[in-house]
Amino acid sequence: MSAHQKNRYENDYKPDENRNKGASRWSHCRKRGADGSLRKSHAIEEPGKCSQHSGRPESFTTPESEGPVSRVKNWGDEVEAEEMRSNVRNDMHRSDSRDSRDSKESPAKGDIETDETTLIRRQKQINYGKNTLAYDRYIKEVPKHMRQPGVHPKTPNKFKKYSRRSWDQQIKLWRVKLHAWDPPAEEGSDLQQIEEIDLGEIMDFELDVECSADTESQCPTSSGKSLSLAEDSFTGTPKKMMKTEDAEMS
Amino acid sequence: MRSGQSHAIRKRMKQARGSFGVRGMDSAWTAFDVVTQTMLQKAFDDPKTVDLEKLSNAIVDQSLKDLSFCKDAGRMCYAVVQAEAQKAATSVFRRNLLTRLQQEFTAREQTRNRSVREWVCLVTFICSIFDYIKVNNAPLVALVDPVYDCLYRLAQPDALINEEEVDCLVVQLHRVGEQLEQTNSQRMNQLFYLLRDGFLLQEDLSSMTRLLLLEILEFRASGWTLTDTAHKYYYSEVAD
Repeated sequence: MSAHQKNRYENDYKPDENRNKGASRWSHCRKRGADGSLRKSHAIEEPGKCSQHSGRPESFTTPESEGPVSRVKNWGDEVEAEEMRSNVRNDMHRSDSRDSRDSKESPAKGDIETDETTLIRRQKQINYGKNTLAYDRYIKEVPKHMRQPGVHPKTPNKFKKYSRRSWDQQIKLWRVKLHAWDPPAEEGSDLQQIEEIDLGEIMDFELDVECSADTESQCPTSSGKSLSLAEDSFTGTPKKMMKTEDAEMS
Repeated sequence: MRSGQSHAIRKRMKQARGSFGVRGMDSAWTAFDVVTQTMLQKAFDDPKTVDLEKLSNAIVDQSLKDLSFCKDAGRMCYAVVQAEAQKAATSVFRRNLLTRLQQEFTAREQTRNRSVREWVCLVTFICSIFDYIKVNNAPLVALVDPVYDCLYRLAQPDALINEEEVDCLVVQLHRVGEQLEQTNSQRMNQLFYLLRDGFLLQEDLSSMTRLLLLEILEFRASGWTLTDTAHKYYYSEVAD
């Protein structure tokens, strides 16, 4: 199966009808065939077959496999994911080179969160929070050096080691605090805000689900988890227009 | 090839080489109608006020019609992407552009059947995007395989007999070959096997095509650069 997984990426944007180069295209990248024996390099293999020696169609799945692989990945999505990954990596390098001046801010060397999946998930959650008018107004109003701990919300540090629950809670509290900078409520406030309420479920990286307009009715009922006192203000947080994630949601 | 004909061929190659250079955006700009020009200008000043999806479609549409435009379209797109990122912190334009590009790419065989010129424009445009638009200074990984797919198509026997397609192939390899190879050298090797085979074995190729193929083979063999000898052979004027 590993050969199948390895080929998944290259498979993804080949339309069905153009598979004639399929076999030759990446088979030469693999040192061993599906049966484990070393391959000698072929020029062109049987066209029309996928890269598997067994001749299984790409849609063949077993319970252990990842399931049918979506053949066509959206380039827009891919590029945004690439961008987030490299941003996260740049963040990591930047935090590595911080000196002792910031030692109370950054975790000790050994206690840094390095798992990319986790970092990306956390960064996404942070992005949701920063992608609000409230955050915009907050950073304009209160420069960093003027921030008082406790009074002014502080973005959770994604590089510190926290349990999942602890992190999600920090995010929740941070988001709630940011609401203090919501612009004055207008009538007909953006219903898109509801999708962000249920942080426990919606922020799950694996699900990667953002409530569309269709599920708006579901969200309020499932928002029992949210802090009740802030519920009204949740619906009132206007979002910035046309942010990256919005394009996926709408 | 030592004949009067070779002189003409080399002269043409020299002219072709001139077009490898980057031209100013002015010529690209004038390809648009006034409405689009205004939209473009506004996109640089205040991206939030512009319908970026419409703009990206306008650029793609123009690229598919106009070969001289699509070489530099990548640069124009990059400028808009940057402007939007810096002034609005969004990436709507890039996303729309890529989505549209992907649609066109998926339909490339039909496009080629309908119009070789449009197909050639498409490849030129995709390569131009690949060349100019980067993510944190790295090339767009998502475009690597599609670009290779296009080049492979151009290296097929039925494409090599068209000088228009060969021209496109070698021009793109000059522009983005080195970067492409860095992201995936296996596929570049594979591509060059095809080119070498075409050069050696395909009987119905024109002299010009053979010359272009030979040049690109040597170009890559010298590490994506032209040695002095090669330059003299391919590009200097020969007094007859």
